[in-house]
Amino acid sequence: MADANSSSGFGGGYMDLSTLDRIQRVQGVLAVSPGVYDTAKPGSASVVSMGVPDFIANFDPNWNRYSPLKLSLAGGRWVGDASRLEVDLGSSIAAEFHVRVGDTIALPVRPSDAQPGFVNHRFTVVGILKPTLTAPDSGAYVSLHDAQMIEGDSLPTALRGQVDPYQLITGAVVYAQPGVNLDSLATRINSAVPTVEATKPSTLVNAFKSGGAVFTVMTTAAALLALVIGGLSVVNTMLMSVSERVREIGLKKAIGARTHHILREFLAEAALIGLIGGVAGYLLGLVLTTLLNGSNPSGGLFLVTPGLTALAIGFAVALGAVAGLLPAIRAARMDPVRALRAQ
Amino acid sequence: MPTLRLEGLTKHYVRASQVVRALDAVTLEIEQGEFAAVVGRSGSGKTTMLDCAGLLMRPTAGRVLLDGVDTGRLGERERAELRSRRIGFIFQEFNLLPTLSAMENVLLPLRYSGADHRAGRRRAEVLLEEMGLAERMGHRPAELSGGQQQRVAIARSLIGEPTLVLGDEPMGEVDTETAEMLLSLMRRINRESRVTFLIVTHDLDLAARADRIIHLRDGRLDADQRVERPGTRAGVAALAAVG
Ligand SMILES: Nc1ncnc2c1ncn2[C@@H]1O[C@H](COP(=O)(O)OP(=O)(O)O)[C@@H](O)[C@H]1O
Ligand SMILES: [Mg+2]
Repeated sequence: MADANSSSGFGGGYMDLSTLDRIQRVQGVLAVSPGVYDTAKPGSASVVSMGVPDFIANFDPNWNRYSPLKLSLAGGRWVGDASRLEVDLGSSIAAEFHVRVGDTIALPVRPSDAQPGFVNHRFTVVGILKPTLTAPDSGAYVSLHDAQMIEGDSLPTALRGQVDPYQLITGAVVYAQPGVNLDSLATRINSAVPTVEATKPSTLVNAFKSGGAVFTVMTTAAALLALVIGGLSVVNTMLMSVSERVREIGLKKAIGARTHHILREFLAEAALIGLIGGVAGYLLGLVLTTLLNGSNPSGGLFLVTPGLTALAIGFAVALGAVAGLLPAIRAARMDPVRALRAQ
Repeated sequence: MPTLRLEGLTKHYVRASQVVRALDAVTLEIEQGEFAAVVGRSGSGKTTMLDCAGLLMRPTAGRVLLDGVDTGRLGERERAELRSRRIGFIFQEFNLLPTLSAMENVLLPLRYSGADHRAGRRRAEVLLEEMGLAERMGHRPAELSGGQQQRVAIARSLIGEPTLVLGDEPMGEVDTETAEMLLSLMRRINRESRVTFLIVTHDLDLAARADRIIHLRDGRLDADQRVERPGTRAGVAALAAVG
């Protein structure tokens, strides 16, 4: 993937269409597609949001030809090179604006604090993509011509009319020939075409990995939170049941129960609460992952293995037992006479 | 050898830095097979005496001997074992576990004594039948009357084949007629199986049906009266003469 060298002039990162030919000639390049990428909701960049912000991009027919990650339509058709004011919407952006195939949508979306020169166009939705749970869900895909038109509208007023937007692109997508080392291909492009800066795939993978790490940290944090809440509620339940059952403990000790008997009974009870909670949580998780996996065309985003099942339920039981330990000790230590006379 | 021997039994409670002399040097012996009633005003030390005799608390001074064994020398483990093997408890408030059936309540002590469960079940059936609860074995306490609940509790006190049954006002929560019936049941068990009973009551008519009436006053043994013909006017008269 090659991006315009940001030092090439406009400060926003543009390159000339002719640059594509120079990239195409680099050894190992299979195909080059022009890329025009813009935000779909200008002005909303400062709003903190989860996931990928909505974007507008040219639909690249090469993508489904060469990329291992195919995009497919849930309904409608793809925009073509000759399409004008037609758009294919990603699943989440379509849902966000409540549009279906045949509806129209103004792009870019007019911000509440629009600049005086703000221009947008009404597009007809001709297709909606299947969910991918990744970036394409937030995309609005138009023809290269329309993407360049929108890009031209967003040029600083001073530049409008001076440059031809239809000669400008914001980036290029490079598809390599099979077996070519992508990192060295990026190096070759950078030396052969000094005006662009090709991003090495390893850099992207690292960025993706750190994204994955964020995902892992977040799910781990959620799991830890659930753990703490679960543990505390077992402690609370068991402490309550100790005070409610003081007389029962007193009676049991009077008729010969030893400290370890009471301890064992309360621990077993806490572990049972853990087991019930664990099984319930597991079933809920199973339903949730099945739903999530079902909405993902490539399937199996979350995998529930027998080992994971055993671990999750075993952990819930252990958590219950650990959380029940303190109340159980309290119960077991109780003096039978005081416990029996308790009201 | 007496089943139970209390020797100079003394118990002081400390409450708000004030010492309450709940029991003051009580000495008495209960022979095997005896049916003894403990009477006395509220606060005279009856419960304290039973709790000490039942090894539920340790006295401030004095000794409790069960079948000749000085229980003060025993650790908590041995005392708990003695409670489960030798002593049966009946309480005023029944103290049945609400989630267990009558049968399960009767079997509860065996959970802690390590007794054979199958033999225990058979014995529990016999006991519940003797208590007239053959049809109620699967019922929960809430489905039973007060008298029926206390009969379950009596069966529970007997499941471990104790030598001594201690009852702290076991007839205190039921009407007179039911109280009479409960006492008759306990007397019959006492007669048939020679189990020793020590029962606290504040009802002098019921006490007069015991073999012996132990009278406490302000923590001291006030009178210890053998009843000649239990349940007759002569017995009550004898008590009145002492009281
Ligand atoms: N846990 C305790 N702390 C302080 N004083 C107590 C305690 N239990 C009983 N007492 C006092 O000891 C005395 C004897 O009580 P108790 O044995 O319950 O008598 P009874 O059963 O004959 O009513 C009473 O004065 C009572 O207030
Ligand atoms: Mg009392």
